[in-house]
Amino acid sequence: MAEVHVIGQIVGATGFSEDSLFCKWGIHTGGAWKLLSGVREGQTQVDTPQLGSMAYWSHPIDLHFATKGLQGWPRLHLQVWSQDSFGRCQLSGYGFSHVPSSPGIHSLHCVTWRPLGGWREQLARAFVGGGPQLLHSDVVYTGADRYRLHTAAGGTVHLELAVILRNFSRYGVEC
Amino acid sequence: MATANPTVFLVMVNGQVESAQFPEFDDLYCKYCFVYGQDWAPTSGLEEGISQITSKSADVQHNLVWNFPIDITFKSTNPFGWPQIVISVYGPDVFGNDVVRGYGAVHVPFTPGRHKRTIPMFVPESTSKLQKLTSWFMGRRPEYTDPKLIAQGEGREVTRVRSQGFVTLLLNVVTKDMKKLGYDTSTLDMQTSSVIDMSEGILK
Repeated sequence: MAEVHVIGQIVGATGFSEDSLFCKWGIHTGGAWKLLSGVREGQTQVDTPQLGSMAYWSHPIDLHFATKGLQGWPRLHLQVWSQDSFGRCQLSGYGFSHVPSSPGIHSLHCVTWRPLGGWREQLARAFVGGGPQLLHSDVVYTGADRYRLHTAAGGTVHLELAVILRNFSRYGVEC
Repeated sequence: MATANPTVFLVMVNGQVESAQFPEFDDLYCKYCFVYGQDWAPTSGLEEGISQITSKSADVQHNLVWNFPIDITFKSTNPFGWPQIVISVYGPDVFGNDVVRGYGAVHVPFTPGRHKRTIPMFVPESTSKLQKLTSWFMGRRPEYTDPKLIAQGEGREVTRVRSQGFVTLLLNVVTKDMKKLGYDTSTLDMQTSSVIDMSEGILK
């Protein structure tokens, strides 16, 4: 069986209009993949940057997959939320990125988007906070039913991931 | 001695904790330690260290330089639990107490070669303003009971932190027998030296 190690960090985020940010992340794989070690999802700490505008999380990711096929290559999906001084959380962006398929160290910059409501919801979000969220978060990493959404851009999440492959050349797979 | 069928691979890391950028603080020292999974074991070198106390240079750049050496070799059967280096920076506050100025962690680089890593340093923050005031007075700031917690992902969900500085590390990595065990860490057959700089957020 071929094995894939995904090791790295969710470094931080830039370009969001809010300050105190945290990120919920998860990995989605197809049916041929099995997670041998590591946690498949998590949530980072809340960071308020003092220098510059980039929020830094340095959240470690360490996953070990075994796979029987190439379909369903792992996808990393993210939700960035902001927390205000009262402790209320507001959605700032959804994003996803495929885990790179070639071995080595990769710098990923994952763009994010957030759903826009009508003009009433946008006005309410500007004054009170809140705003529309997705009911089923799998829309973030699949294409089905996206045509119903009207979204605006959020900031960018920066990740540094290393991919280590094992036994892929034995099966004739070129990466 | 090269064995026909190796069961472990080795990762050798050497380098230094080069310098730090903390615009608001001075007279800092740092500690480093390594956190790794169950399949890993250090075979030689020091797992922990404490540096000297450094002050900002008088010139325009205000550098805090440690130039503190790191040298360690690990053996392992599995890349899961790849070692991370955890850096903790401490300095005096207004009253002279030693308080924590930042924690940061990064994985030891995965590919052989020369790597430069600039890591952000963050400090846990109290949620209530009253607690912030009393901790400033008493000199007892919020800190982690075990710095190895920085290297873990679980249990971070409810913590609030403030990122307030950067530390630059220069690391050289050599691996042995990873290819023989079937692991591909790089698409290049030729090992060229790679210098990767992660300082995107600093000068914005």
